[in-house]
Amino acid sequence: MADDRAAPSAFARERRTIALAWIALLLLMLASLGSAYLKLGPWNMVAGLVVAGIKAAIVAWLFMRLREAGPLIRLAAVAGLGAWCLLVALSGVDYATRTPTPAPVQPPRQLPPAQAASEPR
Amino acid sequence: MTAATLPTPSVDEKKDPDTGKLGMWVFLASELLFFGGLFVAYLYGRTHFPAGWAEGSRHTDVLLGTVNTAVLLTSSAAVALAVACEEDARQWRWTARLLALTAALGVAFLVIKGLEWHSEWREHLVPGPAFALKAPGAQQFFALYFLMTGLHGVHMACGIAVLAVLARGRSRERAWAGARQLEVAALYWHFVDIAWIFLYPLLYLVERHG
Repeated sequence: MADDRAAPSAFARERRTIALAWIALLLLMLASLGSAYLKLGPWNMVAGLVVAGIKAAIVAWLFMRLREAGPLIRLAAVAGLGAWCLLVALSGVDYATRTPTPAPVQPPRQLPPAQAASEPR
Repeated sequence: MTAATLPTPSVDEKKDPDTGKLGMWVFLASELLFFGGLFVAYLYGRTHFPAGWAEGSRHTDVLLGTVNTAVLLTSSAAVALAVACEEDARQWRWTARLLALTAALGVAFLVIKGLEWHSEWREHLVPGPAFALKAPGAQQFFALYFLMTGLHGVHMACGIAVLAVLARGRSRERAWAGARQLEVAALYWHFVDIAWIFLYPLLYLVERHG
């Protein structure tokens, strides 16, 4: 029994962490759903993404065990995220600063023959 | 095939317990960039066609989307618990069951997603000549919606297959279904969960109050 009492801690603690994380994730999901029905303008998107970020951090930190991972694995995890942020920023330089100029709708038409078109009028 | 006849592996996994996990993390980084491009396309569409994005998102099924999010979050907790059980000899009997539960929740997710796709097909929300919505950009929204949820679904199917095989192997106590393999597979499953965590507000919750 003494053995039983000494060892449960590791698993029992892990189980408790997982259960709490799961409850937190579900509550955050409901918070994000609720925030979508409030009229917050551009902050709706911010709220949705911030909640998603917290949920992703919980999954990565506790479920994916970045909490107890060594520096090499943490570096690999952050490198992917960093590369993505870099690519978003570089794409934004173009897309965020350029005004889209849609081409006007052109009705289909029959073009004159190439030879006739090249003759002087 | 016995361990004694095999040559010494070039990577000693006993000395480097992180090798498999590191490999999966590097793969997940490449996966992030794979999904990441679509998120950039989404960001462009949402900032340039806000009306189309709002109308498109309002035509997604928020109830089924929320249920699916809960299903996926629960499956992630289940596979995390399976990994924890595998590390404690007294909990081993739960490992295979929790892996099977995770795979079953994954199947439930895909079934619900399939129902959603079916009703969207019937409501003419698939981009094409008969597309139902008029707002500029709504068609682009649904093109991205199907692309992103479809790509996510393919990842789910792969994860379900891996977890189902591991559950079967673990219940027969096969050497290839050990703690390390399980942890690496769980990492992949959690990543697929994270991808959905971001897809949920971006696809289902745009301008819901309108």
